[in-house]
Amino acid sequence: MIQILSRYGVLFILTLLVLTAMSFSLVYLFPGDVLENLTGIVPQNEIQREALMRQFRLDQPYIVQFFYYLSSLLQGDWGYSLASGLPLREEIGIAMPATIELSAYAMLMALFVGIPLGYYAGLKSYSTTDHTINALSITTYSFPVFWLALILILFFSLHLDIAPLSGRISLLFDIKPVTGFVLIDIMLAEGIDHGLAYRDAISHLALPTVAIGAITTASMVRITRRSVIDVIHRPYIVAARSRGVSEWQIFFRHVLRNALLPILPLMAIQITTLITNAMIVETLFSWPGIGSWLIQAIYQRDFPALRVGMLAVSTLVITLTIMVDLFNRIIDPSREKYERATV
Amino acid sequence: MPMLDIKNLTLEMVDGDTTIKALDKVNLTVNTGEIRALVGESGSGKSLIVSAICGALPSQWRMTADRMSWNGENLLSMSKYQRREVMRRDIAVVFQNPQTSLDPSATLGEQLEESIPDEFVEGYWFWQRAQHRKRIAISTVHKVGIKQHKHYLNAYPHQIPSDIGQKFMIAMALVSQPKLLIADDPTRGMEPTTKTQILKLFTRLNQTRSLSILFVSHDLLAIASMSHSMTVLYAGQTVESGKMKHIKKRPLHPYTKALLDSAPSFRKDLPPKSQLPTLGGSIPTLQHLPIGCRLGPRCPRAQRACVSRPAVRYIHDHTYNCHFPLHMEKL
Repeated sequence: MIQILSRYGVLFILTLLVLTAMSFSLVYLFPGDVLENLTGIVPQNEIQREALMRQFRLDQPYIVQFFYYLSSLLQGDWGYSLASGLPLREEIGIAMPATIELSAYAMLMALFVGIPLGYYAGLKSYSTTDHTINALSITTYSFPVFWLALILILFFSLHLDIAPLSGRISLLFDIKPVTGFVLIDIMLAEGIDHGLAYRDAISHLALPTVAIGAITTASMVRITRRSVIDVIHRPYIVAARSRGVSEWQIFFRHVLRNALLPILPLMAIQITTLITNAMIVETLFSWPGIGSWLIQAIYQRDFPALRVGMLAVSTLVITLTIMVDLFNRIIDPSREKYERATV
Repeated sequence: MPMLDIKNLTLEMVDGDTTIKALDKVNLTVNTGEIRALVGESGSGKSLIVSAICGALPSQWRMTADRMSWNGENLLSMSKYQRREVMRRDIAVVFQNPQTSLDPSATLGEQLEESIPDEFVEGYWFWQRAQHRKRIAISTVHKVGIKQHKHYLNAYPHQIPSDIGQKFMIAMALVSQPKLLIADDPTRGMEPTTKTQILKLFTRLNQTRSLSILFVSHDLLAIASMSHSMTVLYAGQTVESGKMKHIKKRPLHPYTKALLDSAPSFRKDLPPKSQLPTLGGSIPTLQHLPIGCRLGPRCPRAQRACVSRPAVRYIHDHTYNCHFPLHMEKL
């Protein structure tokens, strides 16, 4: 157990190091001044420039520069935005939870809708129900996410007028960002009508969540279905059936767990797609998340923001991926022992 | 009356525009308290018969049979629930490959306890029942010759050697105290010592509990000593069937004779360093099965009549399917 944890820990740290190195190299690869790219501070005169160069070790070899960069990242000094002049850490601290919140709900939707549907389709494999579910999921899966989001806006916001067009919560509610997650912040806020605020926040959340979640749900259905079909044709299911074990017991004792094991690593792959989709949908719904924030940074050629934003998003993706992988490693007994030798 | 009685079992699969008859009018009976050997080369449809009996045929097979009955009850017209009850209480199956027939994500103990019928478990509260289940599991495991129950009941299938796995499969089959045990090539790929242990276990079970066993194998030597009667299968057709001692003494079908001749231990008069007699050619593939008697192209006694399927003929309880059997030398 400790060995597993340490191995995944080392993997995590090494991956982050490589990412940091890439983010550092961006300082030199971006057009423009290296100092400005690194710090986000525009020096007013030569003396200030010299001082900054010395402070950020830019007069020393790359390796020293890199380690200074690393240590300042760890200390929370992520540089300043060229566009707004605010510390990047604060800006990301506000934008990131919004994205995490949105993706988390979309992932929950995929888990609680996609996996049961996939199980159902897999158990009824090659029947009409199965074909219907499968056809629907393929159709949904092949929608481009921006198109789906626009259609949702067009239909629900403009035609039916039941959901707001954009934003996170109505400006009438004065909610301080404490945790950054709007549903928790509402709970913490004082002096507002909580019920109304929740209704408003959820109606804001619904459309972007559905837009992101639909595609992940569809792929979840397909992955689960395939996995279930694979498992129900394994010899141990036939063996269990020949022992007269009832269908329910076969499902709960043998199919459920064995079908879930191969799904988990594929879920880790889905996280990347999910966050990419989240970034696109955020822009369309003006959701104040990291995606729209990064796109703003691209428009404004805010290179320090891009550099740190990229690092933050990839750290999030890698953390989640490694956590899912670790979880899978822990619950799968067949990977437990004798990893490199057979008995 | 035979316990398990199968008459004219035919299994077909539609493959494009042709139908493949994997089993062609197979007859098989198992009497109470006997060990019946089902012998045939690989691909002769032995395992298909086993899956047909336990109702686990893949959906692409079409099954027809004149009779398939268990203790007088028709297995073909049974409801799904009744069929499951028969499988749960009366018939138990030991499959070929223990490693794939055990769920890789559950411990052996869990899987063994799952096969214990609820009627056997005493106790009112669930913890009492769980305890009793565990006791039953341990005693069953001891019966099949596994001593370190603590270690193996908590092990996962990938952690155990394959002979322990096979013994576990047997334990899982025996825990419901069945009347018929179907053993589908249980000693495949085992070393002789473990093989002997398992065969001895079967013989003992047959003698002490009068358990009927349908022993499916291609290992003639192993089963000749323990089984009472034998059914020989060739390419999905029953070739000969009868008491073991009759068949051993005087096989009537050319295939049975070839089969027995190819095993040197059945021939006392075999001179040293002589070549073992074999039939020319090899078993036909399912796509190119000969018409009539399927042994036809390889049979040394084949004549024109062999293109039509021979009817079942009897000499007492010895049956054979051949137009020109060995005891009619004049033909």
